[in-house]
This record gives sequence, C-alpha cells and structure tokens, in this order.
Amino acid sequence: MVPDNIKTFPPTSLTLDARATPLDDLETIVALYQPRVFRFLLANLRDRDAAETLTQETFLRAWSARESFREDCSVATWLIRIALNLARDHTRTGRFRFWKHIATSAIDVDEVAASLPNREGSAEAQLIAQEQVKLIWKTVAGLSPRQRTIFLLRFLEEMEIPEIAIATSLPLGTVKSHLYRALHMIRTRHTPQKETS
Amino acid sequence: MTPQSTPRTACSPLGSNHLTEDQFGELLSQPTGVRTSETTIAEAHVHTCELCAAELATLRESISLFRQASSAYADNELRNLPPVQLPARPAQTLALQPAYWAAAAAIVLAAFLPMQALRQHPLQPASASTTSVADRPVQSEDEALLEGIDTEISASVPTPMQALADPTGGGSGDIDSSVSTSTQRKD
Repeated sequence: MVPDNIKTFPPTSLTLDARATPLDDLETIVALYQPRVFRFLLANLRDRDAAETLTQETFLRAWSARESFREDCSVATWLIRIALNLARDHTRTGRFRFWKHIATSAIDVDEVAASLPNREGSAEAQLIAQEQVKLIWKTVAGLSPRQRTIFLLRFLEEMEIPEIAIATSLPLGTVKSHLYRALHMIRTRHTPQKETS
Repeated sequence: MTPQSTPRTACSPLGSNHLTEDQFGELLSQPTGVRTSETTIAEAHVHTCELCAAELATLRESISLFRQASSAYADNELRNLPPVQLPARPAQTLALQPAYWAAAAAIVLAAFLPMQALRQHPLQPASASTTSVADRPVQSEDEALLEGIDTEISASVPTPMQALADPTGGGSGDIDSSVSTSTQRKD
C-alpha cells in the first residue's frame, strides 16, 4: 500500500523508456526508500527543512538519471550516494554555513532523546538512556563531515562497510579508518572515566 | 595488536593489554555473527577482561539507543512531510506524448478558426451605415455590373461560346432562342 504522503501519477507516464530500470516504478521506490533517505539526511544535516528539500531532490535526481543506474549496487546504495552528493553540495555553500547558526528548523537534541521509545524499567533508566542518546548525538555532531557520514551509514542505516565504500566512493580501508576514528571519538567522550582509571 | 589475555577481574591499566582502537572499531562495526581473525582475537580478550567487556557493552547499548531515538524522531518528522512531487513525465519524451500533440493542435485551431471566420464574414465598417450621397452612383454602377454577370451566368450558352453554339450555321430553336434572349437581355 502506498503511503498517504506520496503523490502518485499514472503508471503510463513512468514507463515510457525503452530500457526498463528498477527505478521505473518510482512510486514503490519512494515508498520504500523515502524514510531511509530522509532519516540519513536529517541526522547528517540536523536541519529538518534541508533534509526535506534534499530528500525530494534525491528522488528527482534518481528519476532523471535512472538510465545511468547500472545495477552494480543496490537501489538503496545508489540513492544514498545521490543524497550524499546533494548534502555535500549543500553544506559547501556559504548560505548553509550562515543559516545553520540561526536556522529555526535545526533539530533540538532534547526532542531526539525524547523520541526514544519507552523501555521496560524505571523512569530513571529511561532518563539515563536519553542522556546516552544526547551524548552520542552531540559527539556525532562534532565529527568531521566524512566521519559523521560513515558513522551514520554504518550505525543508523546499518549498511555494510563495502556498501559504504560504494556509496561514498572511498576505498574500503579509508572507510574503516574514518569509522574507527569516529568510534574512538565517541568512546573517548562516552567513557572518560576509563582514561583516568 | 594482540592483547594479552588477563584474568577477567584483574585488568591492567589502559594501553598495556586492553583492546586497541582498531579492535574496538572492529568489534563495534562488524555485524553480529561475522568473525574475522582480528575479531576472534579481540573477542577472546573481551571474555577475559571485565573492563573492556563492560565498555564494549555500554558503547553498543548507546549506539543502539542512538539508532532507536534517531529513527523514531525521523519517522515522526516524516509524517509531517508534504508529499514527494514526482515528475509526471520526463522532459525529453514530451514530444512523444499524444497529449502534447493534442494541446498543440488545439492551440493552432484556436488561433486559426477565428481568423477564418473573420475572412468569411468581414466586419461591417462603422461608416457603412452613414454612406454619403456621393457614393450612390458608384453603388448603382456596381449593381449594374452584378446584374450583367447574373445574366451571363443564367444564359444557356455563354457569350464567348455563341460562335460554337451552332456549328452547322442553321438554327435549332433552342439555341436561337437562347442567343436571341441573350441579345435581348444585353439590349
């Protein structure tokens, strides 16, 4: 069933090209991958409006470039690659850097932590869990763009490292290196007590 | 890089025989159940070192919580998103669409039909109703000319063909009568 938030068009308009691609059925593609693309962009950019705009743009780009999809990777990886390029272009602009400081659509970390589903246990345990979320969220925000991207692809999108290498067009070793550095940063912030033990 | 296995309750200070950064990274980033030679060695250490085991468990838990919270937040935001505007048709195939040609034909017809109608029924100039007296002789000449044309058309044999009407020189009644009629009308 197609979700309500997808505006659909007659299928005839989507199947005009001679060479069929998995992206011809764009309604299904959007229904399947929009949450994933949006989630990644939201966590990466930390700006709701930017994530929304770039999610839309990702599917438009995918549609217009569907002929170039050679199926050498999954549709999800291909879409994430497009989203990544868009996010990179977006963050490079001076406008983004300026507005990022005063953006009203910037995500509040407390809201993210409050979204944590209720867990079995005491209210105190829930609060501790929320504090853990805030700590990771803030640490991830302080990572370099590449480290943050790779961390999110691995631990939010649960992509395998070879998939991340394809999506980011980086060698496998480089992906691992950035990932381990990101984890080191999180570990350092998360467990400072061990440094002094 | 191989950590020294120590009793689980007695770990040495960090940096001597705990997991290295790469081993931590390997253990955290490898999917559960996937084992490499590196993870096998690191896991062996974790089984014997309480400190590393506790830290690994805490980090795994925190990352898992981060994923849950981020996903829940994004899902909630997704519900408020406007619908994705998908392209109705690609621009390069527009010329192949029947609707495109129908619209183009409609535009051409809309422009052509009024012009054609204007040609067939020209608008009466506003000054026509106030024809001056000086124009009247011209009108009467026109009427005479039109009448002459009518007469020519109604004749059974047109004037230029009268010489051929009776090639024998004799006269059949019909032709003679028509010729004489034509002559009379001319007179």
